[in-house]
Amino acid sequence: MSHMTNPLATPDQLFQRRSFGALPLELQDAIFFATQCLTQAAGLLLQLPQSVAAQANVLLARYWLVESIMAHEFSDVSAAILYLTAKCSPHPRSPRDLSNIYAYLLSPSSSFFPREPPPSPEPNPNKNNPSTYYVPEPAYQTFHARLLALEARVLHALSFDTHVALPHPLAVTYLQALDFLHVAPRERIGKKVVQYLNAALLSPQMLYLTSQPAALAVAAIYNAARDVGAKMPECEWWEVFDVEREELGFLVVGMRSVEGWGRRIAWRGVGMGLGVRLKA
Amino acid sequence: MATKAKSRWADDEADAALEAQRKKEKAEKKRLKAEKARKLEAEKQARDAAPREAESADGRPPAKRRRISPEREPAQPATGSDAPSSGPKLLRFESGAFGRCRSVENYDKLNDIEEGAYGWVSRAKEIATGKVVALKRLKIDPKDRGGLPITGLREIQILKDCEHRNVVMLQEVVVGDDTSRIENIFLVLEFLEHDLKSILEDMPEPFLASEVKTLLGQLASGVAYLHDNWILHRDLKTSNLLLNNRGQLKIADFGMARYVGEPPPPNLTQLVVTLWYRAPELILGARRYGPAVDMWSVGCIFGELLTREPLLQGRNEVDELTKIFELCGVPTDETWPSFRRLPNARGLRLPSSAAGNNKAATGSAIRARFPLLTSAGAALLGGLLALDPERRPTAREMLAHEYFRQDPKPKQEAMFPTFPSKAGQERRRRRETPNAPARGQQAADFGAVDFTGIFSGREREERGGGFSLRMV
Repeated sequence: MSHMTNPLATPDQLFQRRSFGALPLELQDAIFFATQCLTQAAGLLLQLPQSVAAQANVLLARYWLVESIMAHEFSDVSAAILYLTAKCSPHPRSPRDLSNIYAYLLSPSSSFFPREPPPSPEPNPNKNNPSTYYVPEPAYQTFHARLLALEARVLHALSFDTHVALPHPLAVTYLQALDFLHVAPRERIGKKVVQYLNAALLSPQMLYLTSQPAALAVAAIYNAARDVGAKMPECEWWEVFDVEREELGFLVVGMRSVEGWGRRIAWRGVGMGLGVRLKA
Repeated sequence: MATKAKSRWADDEADAALEAQRKKEKAEKKRLKAEKARKLEAEKQARDAAPREAESADGRPPAKRRRISPEREPAQPATGSDAPSSGPKLLRFESGAFGRCRSVENYDKLNDIEEGAYGWVSRAKEIATGKVVALKRLKIDPKDRGGLPITGLREIQILKDCEHRNVVMLQEVVVGDDTSRIENIFLVLEFLEHDLKSILEDMPEPFLASEVKTLLGQLASGVAYLHDNWILHRDLKTSNLLLNNRGQLKIADFGMARYVGEPPPPNLTQLVVTLWYRAPELILGARRYGPAVDMWSVGCIFGELLTREPLLQGRNEVDELTKIFELCGVPTDETWPSFRRLPNARGLRLPSSAAGNNKAATGSAIRARFPLLTSAGAALLGGLLALDPERRPTAREMLAHEYFRQDPKPKQEAMFPTFPSKAGQERRRRRETPNAPARGQQAADFGAVDFTGIFSGREREERGGGFSLRMV
């Protein structure tokens, strides 16, 4: 059964998050969102499969319910968890690779953080300037030391449990069971489902910590089918997959809200102070 | 517009045509089925017609039919009208929570047990409950630039995921008190009094046939559980099999274990399994292997249970391979078709079967080596020690083997003899078994090796075991 279940957050843990640090909750949410995006971006550049990056996202969310978000540099936490997840997967990556990738992503050359237009009309000299993300040896050594220290901290905080069951494979199985894959917009619906599942990783509602993979998969299918306009069974089909109507409703709304909320945050939240802190 | 109004499931003529054809095929199938059923029914009636009186007196077939219908009747409203009131029965997924791990200070150390390749094990007592556990400390090399050892992380994750009566249980993971630097990591495992290796070493008499079956059956059921869950143990040996005083065997030490898929990933390390228990394909450098490597080790353990001595004690890779070929015969295109394609097999010079050697010389010597074993037992052992991994039985097949059903039956676990505990008081002996290979070690590369002489002394062995009387 462990392939289908995840440890979930307790109500206490979710509540306790408010008291972590002095940061207002909105800012915490913005930091959470930005760091999760950073993890995804690093996963892409490291050519890791999405399954690894997604597991790192889930572990990061769990970690920040145990330890204060302000305890360590956000980007370091992201790097350490991605390193750990990759190490346990069939696709390990070296600390050196991580160091280079994170240095690039956090540099002014990076296309990752949207920045304000340069104050002067001439083009920004830092754009695409390799010297802005070159990592000299001493910098790498300190990064490496921080990475390993944080890796151990994260494992300690999570009781060494790095198990994450992702809903993606389940969703594909469910789509097949529902025969959705045989309808004409089959690529579209499959793609939509995966998009919803991946977007939910970024949600500060921490959907992956409050619901089991089966529920996430069903909610993503529900949303995708509605978007594409596919006809769904008229009965309460989600019960076949052991999902309650109430939970499904909550997840459907939660998943739908991620995109709009994320866009708003990306333009507002990152501008205020967040980029500064993430720059290390 | 028109297409939009139509069902979105089938939106063009091709689909419709396909659908129609499918329907027709279905209808045809249904018709055939119905016809077949009708024929069967007619046949049955014809058959039943003769012994009608007997049937009505006996009344079994109608009774069966009667039993079904009343069940179906209440079942129908249950799915319909009753559903909203009681709610459908949904499967709840049991799951734990996550959180910080506890400190090792919750345990009181009693005594050291042994030092293995991956860490130190000691006996300890949980202060709050008084429960005795085994604490295994992970070896961490501070010079390792990769951080915490992946083998340790895998062991923890796999043990956390496992729950089986023949697999050692991981209670929790605890760390040393100084949490600023995580250096001391302890696995809290259930404590078992013995390991099979030290029992075998100290036994004056070998296990009875019934006891061997009990142990082997438990081992097979544990291994079957692991393989069902996509786990390869990769270091099965008697010192990794623990035994408690209630006759229960548990597989321990998952330092080499890992998850694999099907088909297995292509780049597994060949440097696994302690040499004496290592399958020939691993010695020959296979990078793609599966559960069969564990089954080979199970075969070696089977032999060791019978004789109390490790079966194939090679001094190095070449010597181990020699011993394997001496016992199991030399691989031929017939017994192991893909063997020549393995990396280390190219340089081997084998006694050619075509050169007039008799069949007995290249065949397996297992039967002769274990004269007291029943033929079913010898067949099982021979299967487990098949050179070709494809021919070894899976753990599930092994459990269903005739050997376990023949007399003497496996002894009940509760009736198992007990042994004086060593782990309880004194430090266990350091034993001479070689350890599992270390990670990153260089694989042995033997260029050209000559095996042509290995059967020179074989004629003397071929005599068989003679007679021997033994109480079971």
